[in-house]
Amino acid sequence: MYRHDGHDVFVIDGHMHFWDARPENWQTKHGESWIKCFHAYHGALSPAEAVWPFEKFCHYGEEALVDDLFRTGYVDMAILNSTYLHEFYKNGFNTHIQNAVVKQKYPDRFLLCGSFDPRDEEAGLDRFRNMMAEYPISGLKLYTAEWRNGSRGWRLNDPWASKYLELAQELGIKNIHVHKGPTVYPLSADAFDVHDVDYAATDFPDLNFIVEHVGLPRLDDFCWIAAQESNVFAGLSVAMAFVHLRPRYFGEIIANLLFWLGPDKLCFGSDYAIWTPKWLIEKFMAYELPEDLKQEYHVDLTFEIKRKILGENIARLYDIDIAAQAAKLGRDGLGLR
Amino acid sequence: MTERAQPPCEFPAGYDGTAVIARLAQVLDPELDESVLDLGFIKSLRLVAGEAEVALQLPTSWCAVNFAYLMADDVRRALLAVPGVRRVTVSLGDHCAAAEIEAAVNAGRPFAEAFPAEAAGGLAALRLTFLRKGFLVRQQRLLQELRAAGCDAATICALRLDEVRVADEAIMIGDKSRLGGAAVLRRYLERRAELGLDCRPTAPLVVDIDGTPFTPERFAAHYENARTVRIALEANGSFCRALMTLRRLDGFEKGGGHVPA
Repeated sequence: MYRHDGHDVFVIDGHMHFWDARPENWQTKHGESWIKCFHAYHGALSPAEAVWPFEKFCHYGEEALVDDLFRTGYVDMAILNSTYLHEFYKNGFNTHIQNAVVKQKYPDRFLLCGSFDPRDEEAGLDRFRNMMAEYPISGLKLYTAEWRNGSRGWRLNDPWASKYLELAQELGIKNIHVHKGPTVYPLSADAFDVHDVDYAATDFPDLNFIVEHVGLPRLDDFCWIAAQESNVFAGLSVAMAFVHLRPRYFGEIIANLLFWLGPDKLCFGSDYAIWTPKWLIEKFMAYELPEDLKQEYHVDLTFEIKRKILGENIARLYDIDIAAQAAKLGRDGLGLR
Repeated sequence: MTERAQPPCEFPAGYDGTAVIARLAQVLDPELDESVLDLGFIKSLRLVAGEAEVALQLPTSWCAVNFAYLMADDVRRALLAVPGVRRVTVSLGDHCAAAEIEAAVNAGRPFAEAFPAEAAGGLAALRLTFLRKGFLVRQQRLLQELRAAGCDAATICALRLDEVRVADEAIMIGDKSRLGGAAVLRRYLERRAELGLDCRPTAPLVVDIDGTPFTPERFAAHYENARTVRIALEANGSFCRALMTLRRLDGFEKGGGHVPA
């Protein structure tokens, strides 16, 4: 909980990870390249005091996770965006199985994302059903750029992807987080193209598609799609990080998103552990949209809008009653700040 | 970027390297639409007996292979166009595909042949896409200048090329000047010519990517779109600069995790 002028701000971190990138888990040299690439983004955009040595970045463990999110990071609830990368990491990078450990320990604090890969075709459908039956899955995280047996990615409008989305909907899933962001070595940039979201959002009007990293650097394509499709939302992780190093640019991104999508479709995410929520939230709450941008775009970033972005918007997508949830969390030992 | 980062250059005694530097300054990072020289991507240059060796350093070892090839190839061609330069060897340092790109570029082999799996759509199409996006961005910066000078949509749509010029590093609209935008206007006009759009004095100042003039009504939507394209393109520029700064710090990539305050 963040407090601002006597008001509580309930914070949901819509995009975070609990990964294991220790060298012993690297399947190939790509496991090493991947985490080094993440570490470079971490070092490049974090304030100096928030930069971790590489070793800690590879594996920070449960204590650091709970501290950085709930004890010092103002976060009330966090969404585990499971990422698999089985071709790079022996046990996966942060699968729903790995993530379920903390979900089980702090059931009210975490929402767990599962996933599917349409390239598994028929054979994967049962596995998907089993995952849904055996784990407390609240949403899905889809990674269209993931490598699989020589394939460099897939698209949300592939026929098998539609079959999986149908099944997910049947099994009660409402929210689909789709990773569409900056190039991460060695993945193919084409696989981050956002246009497939447009098709899926039209075909599945009752599913919500939260486009993680707002498609950066394809923000323009993302904005045209999200402005048209009422069920496409902006996941702000990565974009958030500019608030420190490039505040003016951050303001331009936010002004554009407010202009095209309005204040009810923007959702905070830290992308922890690439960036830590504490400084992101402090700097975001202290941030004022420059006057010329307010005038240029006819938008503002008021306290009420910040509160929507930090928690209220995504709470609505996941049917979370903030008052009831806050009361419940007050009793879990981590306490409210 | 305003200041020009001069890479360490080694020229033969008495050789005037101005032409070489000027050629390099024209090579752009297609995505960032900025000179590779200004971006600091040229690490060193050595010219001996008509043979040039250029070392590039891109912001990360995972910069997209197609863009990396494109810049290395453009650098090589730019230097080969300098009188007296007979041979150019480009190196890419610790880029993930350095060996393959160097082998192809230095032998003048096309990208599609060197990287058959990556060449979806081809490099020419990629280059054109970014030239066109760059046109929108350059025009959008000019429009910002015009709006700041108090021009409304109707005025902007009515302006002809011969009504806007540069004098004393200022944009002149008729006899009114708007300070500071000279480079903005030049960059827009350069790209407009490069794309083969109508540049006759009586042509409208502001046209769309196909050369069609705007009505004030259509202009409003165009302006809103163009500014979003600019913000989108600046994302990679912002990443690149931040990552480049980091890369220049010895030790970070070795796991030290130290960045300057």
